[in-house]
Amino acid sequence: MRVLLGIARRTGGRLLSSLPALLGVVMLTFLLMRVLPGDPAVFFASGPSAGQEEIEHIRRAMGLDRPMPEQLARYLWDIARGNLGRSLGTGQPVLTDLRQRLPASLELTFCALAIALGLALPLGIAAALRPNSILDHAVRFVCSMGVCVPTFVSGLLLIYVFYYLLGWAPDPTGRIDIFAATPPDMTGFLLLDFAIARDWEGFRAAAAQLVLPAFTMALFVLAPLARMTRASMLAALGSDFVRTARSLGLSRRRVVLTYALRNALLPVLTITGIVFSTMLGANVLVEKVFSWPGVASYALDALLASDYAPVQGFVLLMASIFVLVNLVVDVLYGIADPRASMA
Amino acid sequence: MNINRRQALQGAAAMLGAAALPGGALAQSRAETLRQVTGNTINTLDPTTPGATRESFGLAMNTYDRLVAFGRKPVPGGFIYDHEAIRGELAESYTVSPDGTRLTFTLRRDAKWHDGSPVTAEDAKWSLDRHVSANSLAKAQLQISSYTSPEQFRVLDPMTIEVALEKPDRRALMNLAVPYAIMINSRLAKQHATAEDPWAQAWMKDNLAGGGAYAVEGFRPGEQVALRRSEAWKNGPEGRLPFFRRIIAQTVPEAATRANLIERGDADLSIDLLASDIAALQSRGRVKVFSVPIANGFTHIAMNTRMAPFDKVQVRRAIAAAVPYEDMFQASIFGRGARLFGGDWADLPPDASFPRPMPLRTDPALAKRLLTEAGFPNGFSTSFAFSAGAASANEPIAALVKESLGRIGIQVEIQKLPDAQFNTFQAEKRLPMFVDGATAWLPETDYYMKLYFTREQRWNFSNFNHPEMNRLTGLAQFELDRRQYEEMCRRMVAILGEEVPELLLWQPNHEAAMAPSLEGYTYWFYRQIDFRDLRRA
Repeated sequence: MRVLLGIARRTGGRLLSSLPALLGVVMLTFLLMRVLPGDPAVFFASGPSAGQEEIEHIRRAMGLDRPMPEQLARYLWDIARGNLGRSLGTGQPVLTDLRQRLPASLELTFCALAIALGLALPLGIAAALRPNSILDHAVRFVCSMGVCVPTFVSGLLLIYVFYYLLGWAPDPTGRIDIFAATPPDMTGFLLLDFAIARDWEGFRAAAAQLVLPAFTMALFVLAPLARMTRASMLAALGSDFVRTARSLGLSRRRVVLTYALRNALLPVLTITGIVFSTMLGANVLVEKVFSWPGVASYALDALLASDYAPVQGFVLLMASIFVLVNLVVDVLYGIADPRASMA
Repeated sequence: MNINRRQALQGAAAMLGAAALPGGALAQSRAETLRQVTGNTINTLDPTTPGATRESFGLAMNTYDRLVAFGRKPVPGGFIYDHEAIRGELAESYTVSPDGTRLTFTLRRDAKWHDGSPVTAEDAKWSLDRHVSANSLAKAQLQISSYTSPEQFRVLDPMTIEVALEKPDRRALMNLAVPYAIMINSRLAKQHATAEDPWAQAWMKDNLAGGGAYAVEGFRPGEQVALRRSEAWKNGPEGRLPFFRRIIAQTVPEAATRANLIERGDADLSIDLLASDIAALQSRGRVKVFSVPIANGFTHIAMNTRMAPFDKVQVRRAIAAAVPYEDMFQASIFGRGARLFGGDWADLPPDASFPRPMPLRTDPALAKRLLTEAGFPNGFSTSFAFSAGAASANEPIAALVKESLGRIGIQVEIQKLPDAQFNTFQAEKRLPMFVDGATAWLPETDYYMKLYFTREQRWNFSNFNHPEMNRLTGLAQFELDRRQYEEMCRRMVAILGEEVPELLLWQPNHEAAMAPSLEGYTYWFYRQIDFRDLRRA
C-alpha cells in the first residue's frame, strides 16, 4: 500500500512539474512556425483565380491579421479549452485528426517495438554470453545493417520483394484492405477492435497489413536495443554477485535470467522509453511508404504547407507522450529494481 | 473453453469455405468498383472552399452538376476536353441572345437532387447568388466573366433562369462549366445556414448538397473518399448512367507504391506517377498509359521584369539564347510532352493559338553578345528557385540553367524552397528567376495573357507591365468578332516573343496509368479524373 501511495505521489509530482516544460514547448513551436518564411494563406489560396482577396480572407480566418501576442494568447486560451484549431490541409479540427490518427501510429509503434524487443533481447543476451564469438559478430552485423539502411529504403525493398515480386503481403496501403469492412470503432486500434468484435478474419487481415511496416521500423531500432542489452549484460555478468551465484552452484539459467538480466534491464528500459518516443515521431518515412494514416506523416504534410495548427498540435501531443513515457519508465524502474523507487 | 489444434484447423477451414461462397458477388462488385490512387488529398466536399485542393475540384465534377459542361473530342487512346462544344448538363438547353448579353437556361424537367427533391430555377439562382456573394473561390472566378451581382440572375419561370451581362463577354458561357460553378440543392443548404454563415459554407465542407452522378459514401480527409453512383442521375451525354457503381479515391503518398499497385492490378488508375516510373511501366507493358500534352498549360522560366538586371530586355533575351532547351526537355521530363521552344516565326505568330512554340533557340554566342550590349560583359550573380514539391522535374532544369548561364559569366545560386515558402516568395515577387508550371481553366489566348502577364496579382509571375498588353487584354475579352479577336491575340503573343518576360519551355504530358481494361479516359482542363467517362471493357 505504501509503495502504491509513493508511486501515486511521485506520478502527480512529475505531471505537475512537466507543465512548465509543455508550456515552453507550445510557445516555442508557436513562434518557430511564424518565424518560418512560408505563408499558409498564400499556399492554400492557390486556386486558378485566387488573388490577394482570397489570401487576405484565409489570413483573417486563421487570425493571422492580429498582432502576434494576441494570436499567442488566443492560442493558449484555445488549448486550455481543448481546441487545437483547424487544419487547412484536411479541413478538419486538429483534435479530430489527431484522435483518428494517433491510434494508427501507436498500434504500429507498439507492434514494431514488440518485434524489436523480441529480437533484440535474445540477440543481445546471446552476444553477451559469447563475446567476440561468431555469434557476437553476426549480431553486430545485423544491427549495423538495420541502422545504416534508411527506413524508406528497407520499406520499399520489403514491398518490392514481398508484395510486388512474391505477392505474399497485401497491398501496402494503409491499415486494412481497401475493400474490406472496418470493425466498429471502439479503441481506434484495429487489432483490438477486431478482437472485441470477434472478427478473426478481419484481425488476420489487419495483422497482415501491419507486418511489413512493423518489421521495417523494428529493423531500424534493433541496434540500440540489442547493443544496450549486450553492454549491460556484459557488465552484469562480470559483477561480483554473478560470480557469487555461480560459485554457489546455481543453475546457469537462474544466474543469467534471474540475477544478471534483471540487473541489466535498467539501462535497456531507459533506452526503450527513448526509442519508443523517437519511433512515434520519426516513423514518418515508414508511414509515407506504407500510406499509414498516422500522426507523423500528417505533421510532415502540414509542415510542408506551413499549416500552423496541425504542426503545433502534433508537437504538443509528442511532448505530452514523452512526459507520459518517461513516467511509465520511471514506474517500471521501481518494479525492475526496488532500490530505484527509494530515490 | 479449450481449443485443440484439430478444432482450430477445422475452424479455419470452415472460415475459408465461408469466405469462398460470396466470391462471385465479390468479383462482380470489384469489376464495378474503380480504385484510384493519388499522392494528394481531398480536403473539402465543397470545391469553392478557400484552401480547397485541386483533387477537391475534381471530386466536385462527379458529385455536383453545373448548368453546362464542356464536350470532348477523341485523341489517340482517349479523349480531350472541347471548350467550343458546350452542352447542357443540369440545363436541358440554353440560348444566347443575338447581342450576347442575355443567356437563358431551361432546366431538365425530370432532374432530381440526391435527396429526391426536384431541381428548380430557384436552386440555380441561389447557387449563382452564392458564387458571386459568399467569400469563396467562386467569387473571383465568376468575376472573370463579369458576373458580380445577384441582380444579374433572374428566375423567369420555375424551370428557366436568365443571366444578364452589361456587355457581351466571350467567357460568360464557358465560365459556368468550371468546377466552382456547382448547382446546389438550396433547400437543403439553407437548412444548415446560420446568421454568420448564410451560404452554409461550413456545413457544405463535410456534406454534399448536390445532385451529381455520384454521392459521397465515406469521406476521410487525407485517407480516402468513397463514392456511390446516384441511380437517378440523367444529366450526362445522352442521359447515360456512368459505368462504375462505386469509386474509391485513396491517398497513397509514395509514388513508387502507386506504380506497384497499378502494375499488380490492385488499383485501377493513377494520374500522378513519376515520369521515370511511367516510362518503366510502359516498357513492361502490363498497364495502359494514356499520355497527352496538357493543352491548357505550360512549364516556364519566369524572370522578374521589375528587378535589376532582369528589367533590361537584352538581359532577358540573352538568357533566352543561353539555356539549352532540348537538353532540359529530355532531362526534366524525358521528352514526354510538347515543345514550346524552337517556333519558326519571328515577328507575328501564324495564328492566334496559345500556348504555342515561341521563337526560342539556344545560341551561346548571341547570348554573350546581348549580355555585353546590356552592359554586363562580365556577367552578374543571381539566383534560380524551384519548389521542393516539384523537385523531380525541376532540379535537372536548375542544374542545366546554372551550367549554361555560368558559361556566359552569370553566376547562379540554386534555391530549392519548401512549397509554402516558394509560393510566398513568388507571390511577393521576391524571386529574380524561377521555374514553375501554369494552367488556365478557360483555354482562350486572351485569358492566358490577362491571367499571367497583366496586373498586380499573384499569377503575374514575371511582374510584367506592358501598356499595349494591358490595353489589348482589356479589349479582347469583349470582342465577339472572330477576325478582330484573332488579330489582337496574335499581337499579344508577338509581345511575349519580343519582351520574353518568361521562357516558355514545354507542355508536359498529362499521364494516366490504368488497368488495361479501362476505356474512355478524358483529359479535362482541371487536370483531374472525371469518373463518369470511364468504363471497364
